[in-house]
Amino acid sequence: MSTRDVMTLEQEGIIGTMEKPPKAGRKMKRSKARSSGVMPYLMVLPALVMLGIFVIWPAVYAGFLSFHDWSFYKDPAFVGFRNYANVLKDPLFWAAVRRGFIFVAMTVPVMLVLAFLFSSLVVSVSRRFASVLKVSIYIPTIISAVIASIIFVLIYDYSGGLLNALLGVFGVDPVAWIGDPRWALFAIAVPAIWLGMGLTSLIMVAGMIDIPQEFYEAASMEGANWWQKTFYITLPQMKNILLYLLITGFVSAIQQYELPLVMTGGGPLDSTTTPNLFIFNHFRNDMNVGYSIAAALLLFVVLGSISALVFKFVNSERLVD
Amino acid sequence: MAQTTLPPSADLENTSAKTKHDRGGAWWFYTIGKAFFGSVFVVVALFPLAWMVIAGFKSKTEVISTPFQFFPEVWKWENYTQILSDPTFMKTMGWTFMGAILFTLLALTINSLAAYAFARLDFRFKSALWVIVITTMFIPGMTILLTSFVVVSDLGMLDSLAVLVLPGAASAATIFFIRQFYLSIPSSLEEAAMLDGCSRFQIFWRLFLPLSKAPFVVMGITTFLAYWNSYVWPIMTITNPDMYVVQQYLATFRSERSTELGLLMAGSVLAAAPVIILFLIFQKQIIGNIKMAGLK
Repeated sequence: MSTRDVMTLEQEGIIGTMEKPPKAGRKMKRSKARSSGVMPYLMVLPALVMLGIFVIWPAVYAGFLSFHDWSFYKDPAFVGFRNYANVLKDPLFWAAVRRGFIFVAMTVPVMLVLAFLFSSLVVSVSRRFASVLKVSIYIPTIISAVIASIIFVLIYDYSGGLLNALLGVFGVDPVAWIGDPRWALFAIAVPAIWLGMGLTSLIMVAGMIDIPQEFYEAASMEGANWWQKTFYITLPQMKNILLYLLITGFVSAIQQYELPLVMTGGGPLDSTTTPNLFIFNHFRNDMNVGYSIAAALLLFVVLGSISALVFKFVNSERLVD
Repeated sequence: MAQTTLPPSADLENTSAKTKHDRGGAWWFYTIGKAFFGSVFVVVALFPLAWMVIAGFKSKTEVISTPFQFFPEVWKWENYTQILSDPTFMKTMGWTFMGAILFTLLALTINSLAAYAFARLDFRFKSALWVIVITTMFIPGMTILLTSFVVVSDLGMLDSLAVLVLPGAASAATIFFIRQFYLSIPSSLEEAAMLDGCSRFQIFWRLFLPLSKAPFVVMGITTFLAYWNSYVWPIMTITNPDMYVVQQYLATFRSERSTELGLLMAGSVLAAAPVIILFLIFQKQIIGNIKMAGLK
């Protein structure tokens, strides 16, 4: 189809500006660079301009504001590291960070174990059943946090919710899942796992399929059972994928704030105020913007460097493939 | 990639035949066990959605009632017909849909142009610009949320289509994903076209675009989904109720009309329907590319 297009192009006489013959080798690249003309710049320009306006400039500006005392009503005044110091001294900030880690501990391990069991199942069943499994696990992933919140808030309802009704069958007293500070974070972890399972599972399935089948055949020949195959073949072979999923799972779980924002608004008693929700609520209520921005930047330094490391790791791993 | 390395189904059957032989009578046990656990996964994954659909058929008081009832006393279509005939809801759906289409087209255009240039062309400062693009991938949304708001409000974009469509359109992750794909296209195709006198842009337009269906589908759906599901950015930048996007509408509905739960459920079902349908149509491509898409 492509050569046909090129031919019609010629017939129609839409022949482009003179281009040089194909490159002879990598060595010539540098001298060719100039002759590509303005076309490459025109092609990257829209993306660069938009990234510049909506990502790079806001990031630079955030860096600038974090050293200033500023609100929508007054000019920025330089205060040095005061905002950062205030954030680091704030027990509420640390409480939110601690809560973020608890939330990670509630979601990521469960998700990894479930996804592992799921993908072990997927690779061992017939193709048709496997695709039914894959499609159903992925459907929740495309649901929005708002809809997931609405569904789960009603499931958790104290007097009329499904969960308490179900537990009532076993004689368990109703629990105010999202109204009780002891349970609220847990109640938010469940929809978070539900929404996040799809991608985690499918990446794991993809990794598991890549393991050479001969390993398992050889192991079967020696009489290995499922546990032995899992511990001596599957897990070691999937080390990189598991590490990748662990880190990306960590980064996305610690940044979760949409679910608590819609489900509880961070309450009760701040029990669901994750680090990002802490910052977001500050944005909306606090006059001292510098503080929130400093907090956001502190988080960025940590999360941004973790993501960069993951990216570097994944990229180098891909080169090996 | 996942799909290409998947052994043909014949192989799978072979291995299962072997284990069948090894395990003798236990084979049935394993098959039933797998079917059981598979069904559990499917049911657990889809249950909340099924519950939402069923709740859409319930009356106001039935959605959360004591004693709890899973199925409605009488199945009613009223909630669905009522929300479908609600002009505000339909306008919100249409408005969000239009925005999502525009956003997706814009994103695919600018990101694929940049991806092509970074994958296939040589130009001065290319590697420096590439580093800049990739760096933007690691800036968490929360860090720039407030300053992005300041930027769009300085540009006078609040309460407009522009504020919903422009800021997220250029995306380093999308550029990266499409660039990876373009790097894998053999350069002999390009060289032949160049010998025929095609310009670089013509090569992109007549050669690369037609080949880009797979990455475009994956990135197109991802982009569409991101727009359709976005909530925080709209609540910050859209204050005019006439311009609410669908997630914003649902959240507001929940807080302001909290007694009409059946209606809210029906509305949520309809708001989720477009993306589920879209996913079901393209699920093969999306799931096939998941490993790469996950690495963004």
